[in-house]
Amino acid sequence: MLEIKSLCASINGTEILKGLNLSIKAGEVHAIMGPNGTGKSTLASVLAGKEDYEVTSGEISFDGKNLLELSVEDRAREGVFLAFQYPVEIPGVSNVNFLKTAMNEIREHRGLPALSAKEFLTLVKEKSALVELDASLASRAVNEGFSGGEKKRNEIFQMAMLEPKLAILDETDSGLDIDALRTVAQGVNTLKTGQNATLVITHYQRLLEYIVPDFVHVLFDGRIVKTGGKELALELEDKGYDWVKA
Amino acid sequence: MMGNLIAFREQLGDTRLAMPEPLSREAKDGIERLASFPTTRDEAWKYTRLARVAALQLSPLAHYQQPEPSECSETIDVIFEPHGWFCAAPVEGLIIESAGNLAPEDWQACTTSGHVQYLNTLAAQGGACLTIKAGYEIPKPIRIIHRAKGENFAMVLHHQINVEPHSKVQFELLYEGQGQEAYANILVDFFIAESAHVHVDKWQNTQGTHYGFYNERIYQERHSTFCLHTLTVNTHFTRNDVEVFSQGEAAHTKLYGVFLGGENHLIDNHTFVHHMAPNGSSDENYRGVMKGKAAGVFNGKVKVYQHAQKINAFQSNRNLLLSSAASINAKPELEIYADDVKCSHGSTTGQLDALALFYLQARGISKEKATEMLVGAFCAEVVESVQSKHIQRAFAAYFSS
Ligand SMILES: Nc1ncnc2c1ncn2[C@@H]1O[C@H](COP(=O)(O)OP(=O)(O)OP(=O)(O)O)[C@@H](O)[C@H]1O
Ligand SMILES: [Mg+2]
Repeated sequence: MLEIKSLCASINGTEILKGLNLSIKAGEVHAIMGPNGTGKSTLASVLAGKEDYEVTSGEISFDGKNLLELSVEDRAREGVFLAFQYPVEIPGVSNVNFLKTAMNEIREHRGLPALSAKEFLTLVKEKSALVELDASLASRAVNEGFSGGEKKRNEIFQMAMLEPKLAILDETDSGLDIDALRTVAQGVNTLKTGQNATLVITHYQRLLEYIVPDFVHVLFDGRIVKTGGKELALELEDKGYDWVKA
Repeated sequence: MMGNLIAFREQLGDTRLAMPEPLSREAKDGIERLASFPTTRDEAWKYTRLARVAALQLSPLAHYQQPEPSECSETIDVIFEPHGWFCAAPVEGLIIESAGNLAPEDWQACTTSGHVQYLNTLAAQGGACLTIKAGYEIPKPIRIIHRAKGENFAMVLHHQINVEPHSKVQFELLYEGQGQEAYANILVDFFIAESAHVHVDKWQNTQGTHYGFYNERIYQERHSTFCLHTLTVNTHFTRNDVEVFSQGEAAHTKLYGVFLGGENHLIDNHTFVHHMAPNGSSDENYRGVMKGKAAGVFNGKVKVYQHAQKINAFQSNRNLLLSSAASINAKPELEIYADDVKCSHGSTTGQLDALALFYLQARGISKEKATEMLVGAFCAEVVESVQSKHIQRAFAAYFSS
């Protein structure tokens, strides 16, 4: 589904990703771990198409398409979803209006008719229940005044609504209490099918007890320096990163 | 001669209104004294070039477009006929006559200054005179419609609105229509008596190379309230001058505006509030959004006179630039001669929040639509308090087009 080859990316002239390779197939769950500032969020942003980053070399293909040629919105419409490490507050734009616009633009792209108001509300009810997002948050401005945990739930709620092929969760677990973590993880697991894939960026092996990965990668200095199974996360928790850096 | 004001004034023809002699004389002298259009060296026209206006070839407008009858149900419409104003559905408490029927002594005393007002005084083709009788609350908004169409026309109008004590009324001023190399100069005077309440929603959406100059002069007596919303979208050239004389004690004024410019448009908003009596307040909130090569101007002047103690004057102007070629010039001006007043003003100009834009796009929303949503949110604070449903709809429609 996703094939990243020798990806190099920089921001303001500083190279952050330095020849990264990663391959994800439908139905798989991958986890990326690694010390602060090594490029995890950069990778997520580059996949989502953030313009601040310049891809200097390498390739990314997504479902056979050259992802780097697509605009941010077209990537989302093709099924890439980034759950932000820091969800953005947008005063004056209601969550509901935002999601409805997003869903209908995605549906249009896929040749589907727009949802009726009723169909949309039914979905909102169903999916907000899935992540136990307080229904009143749906009518508020996007993320405005949401608590840290509410913002993270809102990301997963959006993911549930938009049903992406590839979901990238950037530290969705940080700021969540233990119950919330379980709820969010259950949400992610419920949405899992053989056709979609999940890329989880995390610092804590705890999340991986709930969202069990098929592969764990260590990202260090802009490259994936080690790949293993779910037991690698435990090992990292135990020993830290020093031993993989070499 | 370039910028010749005297020749310009001549092509507008003579006014059909019987203005008081001192006013006409003042205007005549004023034009002769100025002799040419102001240049950008003139503080009031610093960012607004008038060369294109001065070069217009004009003749007075002969035909006014009528609104469709179906539009008239929610409002009381004041419609221009070639020889006067007429109201489709008069109501109790409202008197409408053609300004052309007023005798010089029927015009309430006011001052006049600047070339725009001088030209208006000398060349107004007509106008409406509306009186809201004391104690009446007019049940539906009164809509004054300006919808001229054509080329090289000059539409010069002067309306007088008298709002008697303890009455309440809502107005919609519509400036639409289409003009090529056309000129509009429309002056509306509001005389708001003691404890009267006036709400005005003003919608400006003219098409074509239409050069519009709009002046509102508001005279407020004690305990009166006046609230104005000016929504300007997509006009080629608009200059708004709103001047409030808050001359009675505890009079309250709100001036709100949203101006959206694109292409090579110019939208210039000037406001001037005179606090002449104690215990009053003014609250201004203008939001400008410029894209393309559009230029916006906001100049908000507040003057607190010596005896006008305990005044609250608040002014906020926020602007968004959506392209690097767009510009905004914002200038607050405070002149305070009283010592016990609370005045604050703030002006910011920035760009669209790039992170917010990315977030919306990352959910599949096109850049255009995302921009529209963010601009809509930026304007919402002002647009929400517009009372006219018609204008709110027109604004929303402008957005989704
Ligand atoms: N605008 C910028 N200019 C220069 N350097 C930047 C800029 N933005 C990010 N960086 C740098 O890029 C590097 C990678 O950042 P990134 O956010 O990808 O790290 P991360 O692995 O997600 O870290 P964390 O675990 O703390 O979230 C960091 O050193 C960061 O300082
Ligand atoms: Mg990060």
